[in-house]
Amino acid sequence: MGIPCHFALFELQPSFRLDLEQLATRYRELARGVHPDRFADASEREQRLALEQSASLNEAYQTLKSPPKRARYLLAMNGGELPLEVTVHDPDFLMQQMQLREELEDLQDEADLAGVAVFKRRLKVAQDELYESFAACWDDAAQREQAERLMRRMQFLDKLTYEVRQLEERLDD
Amino acid sequence: MALLQIAEPGQSPQPHQRRLAVGIDLGTTNSLVAALRSGLSEPLPDADGQVILPSAVRYHADHTEVGESAKRAASTDPLNTVLSVKRLMGRGLSDVKQLGDQLPYRFVGGESHMPFIDTVQGPKSPVEVSADILKVLRQRAETTLGGELVGAVITVPAYFDDAQRQATKDAAKLAGLNVLRLLNEPTAAAVAYGLDQHAEGLVAIYDLGGGTFDISILRLTGGVFEVLATGGDTALGGDDFDHAIAGWIINSAGLSADLDPGEQRHLLQAACAAKEALTDAASVEVSYGNWSAQLTREAFDSLIEPMVARSLKACRRAVRDSGVELEDVAAVVMVGGSTRVPRVREAVAEAFGRQPLTEIDPDQVVAIGAAIQADTLAGNKRDGGELLLLDVIPLSLGLETMGGLMEKVIPRNTTIPVARAQDFTTYKDGQTAMMIHVLQGERELISDCRSLARFELRGIPAMVAGAAKIRVTFQVDADGLLSVAARELGSGVEASIQVKPSYGLTDGEIAKMLKDSFQYAGDDKVARVLREQQVDARRLLEAVQGALEVDGERLLDAEERMVIDLQMQELAELMKGSDGYAIEQQTKRLSQVTDAFAARRMNQTVKAALAGRNLNEIEE
Repeated sequence: MGIPCHFALFELQPSFRLDLEQLATRYRELARGVHPDRFADASEREQRLALEQSASLNEAYQTLKSPPKRARYLLAMNGGELPLEVTVHDPDFLMQQMQLREELEDLQDEADLAGVAVFKRRLKVAQDELYESFAACWDDAAQREQAERLMRRMQFLDKLTYEVRQLEERLDD
Repeated sequence: MALLQIAEPGQSPQPHQRRLAVGIDLGTTNSLVAALRSGLSEPLPDADGQVILPSAVRYHADHTEVGESAKRAASTDPLNTVLSVKRLMGRGLSDVKQLGDQLPYRFVGGESHMPFIDTVQGPKSPVEVSADILKVLRQRAETTLGGELVGAVITVPAYFDDAQRQATKDAAKLAGLNVLRLLNEPTAAAVAYGLDQHAEGLVAIYDLGGGTFDISILRLTGGVFEVLATGGDTALGGDDFDHAIAGWIINSAGLSADLDPGEQRHLLQAACAAKEALTDAASVEVSYGNWSAQLTREAFDSLIEPMVARSLKACRRAVRDSGVELEDVAAVVMVGGSTRVPRVREAVAEAFGRQPLTEIDPDQVVAIGAAIQADTLAGNKRDGGELLLLDVIPLSLGLETMGGLMEKVIPRNTTIPVARAQDFTTYKDGQTAMMIHVLQGERELISDCRSLARFELRGIPAMVAGAAKIRVTFQVDADGLLSVAARELGSGVEASIQVKPSYGLTDGEIAKMLKDSFQYAGDDKVARVLREQQVDARRLLEAVQGALEVDGERLLDAEERMVIDLQMQELAELMKGSDGYAIEQQTKRLSQVTDAFAARRMNQTVKAALAGRNLNEIEE
């Protein structure tokens, strides 16, 4: 295939632990080379190539930058494409999910901005824990199932983070 | 023989020949054109030394008047004098009706859904009115700089949607300008500040113009301007402050709100004058007809408070979207004439906890930044190459799905260029066509989003429901403009469009305008087309020649090189003649035979960037 893997594009070894600063620096260097602005004066063909290459560079960067997307990408590299939506058999986590959602609803009803700030910090801690656990097991074939479970938990918490932001926006009226 | 002639650099540009390019700020109230002169970016003055051109166009039966004199005629000839036309760009008739009594014009429908303003010169679309402003700026630039322009960077509010961007690009085309890039206004301002004041780190650009408000959060790192998030309101600006004061006058003077167009304009002029006076004075006498009263700054501040609050709310959202903390923002830059209002400055200072920067004239900073970018894009800084702008889309893009819901394909604040695909399937047995409805906005219901385009993918082979796999690909280019393609993966049936917004002009309308336009009326059309083809051909030849000099040895084998040389020779030969069609065909052929070369060069650039990085690491 002509498309290099996202990690190779940034000359990195596939890994969940990434130095985001370093990733950002490399991204900027690469973007300099392929951005359409460099080809504003070039032939139509070169402009289209620049557009395509820039778009795939941006896509790669977005994927590696976000922990849930990075986790998903690593798993797909290691053991094939994963379906986006599946039924999760993870009763403990389902329980926790429901609690978190209820808490968020309460915060909305009470318009409790200070409470939202506390909730955000807790969410962050929970996310960091997930990242640690995932980093320890994703490349171990024996723990594949666990890794997938952790990745789905990350996705859920990511979605929750987005909902918190929407709540903040609603409360900001 | 061919090779010998190729060796002569006859077609390549002179090393010191500067390619003329300008930055244009096409504003709601005022417009400017700026260019780099002796290394300094500055706005270009007209014959009277004025740099600001009021965005006012007055139509007479036999000619068109643009600028200050047109603006002054607004209350005496309101129906033929168009002000603040930017507010109508990319809008539909229904949007315009919402603005309703604020606008004194007579609107008529056109072939498209775009509103046309009825004038003594006939119906004028907002695109044409904008083009009339751009033509004046183009002429000013060509006179001042003494030559034909290679192109222009035109600025747009960051929060402009696809339809508004497309309308702006159409206007530039109509004015005979080659658009090098549509650049977001706050990003342009950041460039001016970043290069001039050497700002680094997180910067917030608060841009309150005559009719639009933008807030952008950027990270500046060594010449790279990375927009993290943008937000705003395309219907919030100084015009609204004027309307608030006008409303206050109507109430205080007990006037009927039912004023004729001339009276309305008169009232707004009085309101605007009061607003401007209050920048320095604590109180101002406002009079209208026989009535007069004092307006204090305090009273004015409370009149505009809801609008100021709206802008601050957008600021907080942009900060949240950018994933940074308010305290991390190292500088706040003020852009746009309306940031002269003391209450606005004060409120922004409170919100960000620091005094905003106002060193560069807020009316000029956008054009100044745009000119810097234009100069780079025109290829004048090949070696420097320090400047890089990474911008985002302001509003999410998506598709209509079952139940009238919008499914997001690209979320807002995604870095452009971007390409993303989503797969869909058929929901009925034997279904052979699928409607693709492209939307822009943040809300879930499609009725709350802006409809950008609809098109149909036909010829899907009949299958059971759910068996077909239809991949819809969205691509947003560096101008922030969208194109969409749909493909059935099994059969390869394909349909694609460059999104022509529902509120845009139809191709027929554009063609007609080009024909009608004063600019082209006298031109011999064939000659013009030929000249354009010659320009394209020369541009390609120069590009290939330049590329060969740098990478020809390294990236091409002898045979490949010979093919390219032969095609170049052929094109150079044809350019001496006047067969436009042959030139066009040969330009295409040369472009095709250099495809692989271009691709290799681009890959090299990527590798070079990485190699450079490795070297640094070793040295550390």
